[in-house]
Amino acid sequence: MSTSGTSRMHRSEHRWALLFVAAPVVGYLLFTLYPVCMAFYTSLTNSNGLGIARFVGLDNYVRVLSDGYFLQSLFNTFFYMIGIPIGLALSLALAIGMNRAIPLRSALRTIYYVPVISSLAAIAILWQWAYNGDFGLVNQVLAWFGIEGPNWLADKDFAKPAIIAMAVWKGLGYSMILYLAAIQSVPRSLYEAAELDGANGWQKFRAITLPMVQPVTFFLVVTNVIGGAQIFTEINIMTPQGGPELSTASAVWYIWRQAFKYQQMGYGTAMAIVLGLLILVITLIQFRLNRRNNFVLD
Amino acid sequence: MRKSRLAAGMVAVFALSSTLAACSAGSSTDDDGKLTFMFRGGEDEKAAYTAAIERFEAETGVDVDIVVTDADQYSTKLQAAIAGNNVPDVFYIEQASLQSYVTSGILLDITDKVEAQGIDLDNIWEYGVDSYRYDGKVQGTPDGQLYGLPKDVGPFAMGYNKTMLEAEGIELPSTDTPYTWDEWLEVLKAVTKDTDGDGEVDQWGTGLNVVWNSQGFAWSNGADWTNADHTEVTVDTPEMAEALQYIADMTNVDKVTPNAEQAATLDTYQRWMAGELAFFPVGPWDVSVYNDLEFDYDLIPFPAGKTGEPATWVGSLGIGVSATTAMPDDATKLAVYLSTDEEAQKTLVDAGIQVPNLKDMAAEWAAEEGAEPANRQEFLDIVETYGRPMPAAVTYGAAWYDEMWTNIQPVIDGEQTAADYLAEVQPRMQTLLDEANAAASAAAEANAAKG
Repeated sequence: MSTSGTSRMHRSEHRWALLFVAAPVVGYLLFTLYPVCMAFYTSLTNSNGLGIARFVGLDNYVRVLSDGYFLQSLFNTFFYMIGIPIGLALSLALAIGMNRAIPLRSALRTIYYVPVISSLAAIAILWQWAYNGDFGLVNQVLAWFGIEGPNWLADKDFAKPAIIAMAVWKGLGYSMILYLAAIQSVPRSLYEAAELDGANGWQKFRAITLPMVQPVTFFLVVTNVIGGAQIFTEINIMTPQGGPELSTASAVWYIWRQAFKYQQMGYGTAMAIVLGLLILVITLIQFRLNRRNNFVLD
Repeated sequence: MRKSRLAAGMVAVFALSSTLAACSAGSSTDDDGKLTFMFRGGEDEKAAYTAAIERFEAETGVDVDIVVTDADQYSTKLQAAIAGNNVPDVFYIEQASLQSYVTSGILLDITDKVEAQGIDLDNIWEYGVDSYRYDGKVQGTPDGQLYGLPKDVGPFAMGYNKTMLEAEGIELPSTDTPYTWDEWLEVLKAVTKDTDGDGEVDQWGTGLNVVWNSQGFAWSNGADWTNADHTEVTVDTPEMAEALQYIADMTNVDKVTPNAEQAATLDTYQRWMAGELAFFPVGPWDVSVYNDLEFDYDLIPFPAGKTGEPATWVGSLGIGVSATTAMPDDATKLAVYLSTDEEAQKTLVDAGIQVPNLKDMAAEWAAEEGAEPANRQEFLDIVETYGRPMPAAVTYGAAWYDEMWTNIQPVIDGEQTAADYLAEVQPRMQTLLDEANAAASAAAEANAAKG
């Protein structure tokens, strides 16, 4: 700080600055740090979410490790993430398509974006109908090709792929818009230079487009993984019992059921903390990998 | 000027943080002279209770705030309110949560208050009232303290498609003597056929969902889920195996239901409504929808197993009073009013979503000329004589019971026998029940220590 910081005006401004800084800090302490600490404490108790809890040490964490259903729900959660690369590839392809001068381009862009702004609950209900074994849209379309579709959500082998397909469809528009913006900001000169060197379309895509949109890919992977780890609403609406043999139960769904339905708030919180740590570790790994791949233009 | 803005800002931040602190440390004993009633439900329930509460306010001069949520969000929101020490004065309570709410000191013991107000509980179904009695060990006992009153009772009867049976020339089932399992199976086989000659069966006997429909078969066959004091799981018995196998075989061996892929509830429910099934269970909440269907239907008792007696379950939802309410007398009055107000009952009954809570009203309702379904009396018989609470409705949480259904699919698909499965699942259910009972006593001790 320079000596000019002693003026009255400066001091006054300084106090104001502190006040503005205080608002988010206080908000963070009250709404994030305090609940996190409380959650950690709750995870060490036998709380039922209603009355007084007793301290039980690490009992809940020991139980987490031996709870087959929780491990199953974690497996399901990560299985759903198969949808992430599929969704990214599709949305990148769509973005490249939408970047060309094709007829009805804005209309198409809008259509792809509609699912993004629609209520997830409403979409889940629509898809639940589409997946109905007898009258569902999906099986009707399959029937045109002579394929007899399964009762998607009631079949333990088809329920997860069915939910993945829905999630990909729902997220397509958002990723597409981000990719579209990234593609449009790639300098034309790079392509022109490549063309002079005789690069074909695929080479231009591989060597220019893909690396140039890499920051967007990274952003989408990180946010999709974090969001995917918390998948709940569509699971709870489309398969209220967690699917046949808990085959669709996601980790958050299982945590919710233990905490709120079975009133094992302490145990549920312990699982939530384990899940949170897993997400943190995965995100750190992603940042690590990304740093290695990063490059700066010029 | 600037200073005062700064001061104002500081005050705002302080006010905000101290309000929040007050929220977390405070309680619902805000004596603002108002009651809060929290419940869930569809349009009919909202309309019925909003009107009932307006009448209550006019009669007693007590103001009531209404908080209503969607059905699937209710328990989460209620628990959030409890965690925030902001328990509504009067609220819906599920049978299965009663014990944990009582042992955690959330629910008020209203036994004396109800008595002091001279309420005649004899005109409400015993099953409904007793569901909310708890003596610290057993729920549903007439000797227990009263922690709530029924919002409704939900008897689950068997229904049949009268139009279809008449068209098939099958003698209509008796409303008094239940079918035996063998008799019923014969009828199911007789109606299962291809009606339009395209080579595919398109009319079936029934289509049961094991999670919601097997209880009556098990009980009527002499099986039960636990012993009388709910400490031992008793599903690994020949009687239970026989009941589950009977249901599974309907699909896999006897082929009198839509096949396995189509057996999810939604589908059989749709098929019943499309007139493709001869028999399907019916609850009071189904009546408004089923009355609009193109065929006639009526109610009968569930087919009877070894014991020769029919059995089925009765659900219930209760109305409880917060233990921390600032106005316990008025809150109790409101709970009683909502449970017994004739006009509110009439609105709900006319909407075709519940049977009357009051016995005299129910008798009139059942005797109504030209009623649909004609045998409304079956619902009342279930409530009054042979219906039972769901196995998990009277224990501390339902985790042990849900475990039974989590991996049931291979039995339904005919890949595993019911007997094998039950032997396998019983120890897992026992572990969960032991945990639940341990949690119950731990919560009771903690609450006693607080008191």
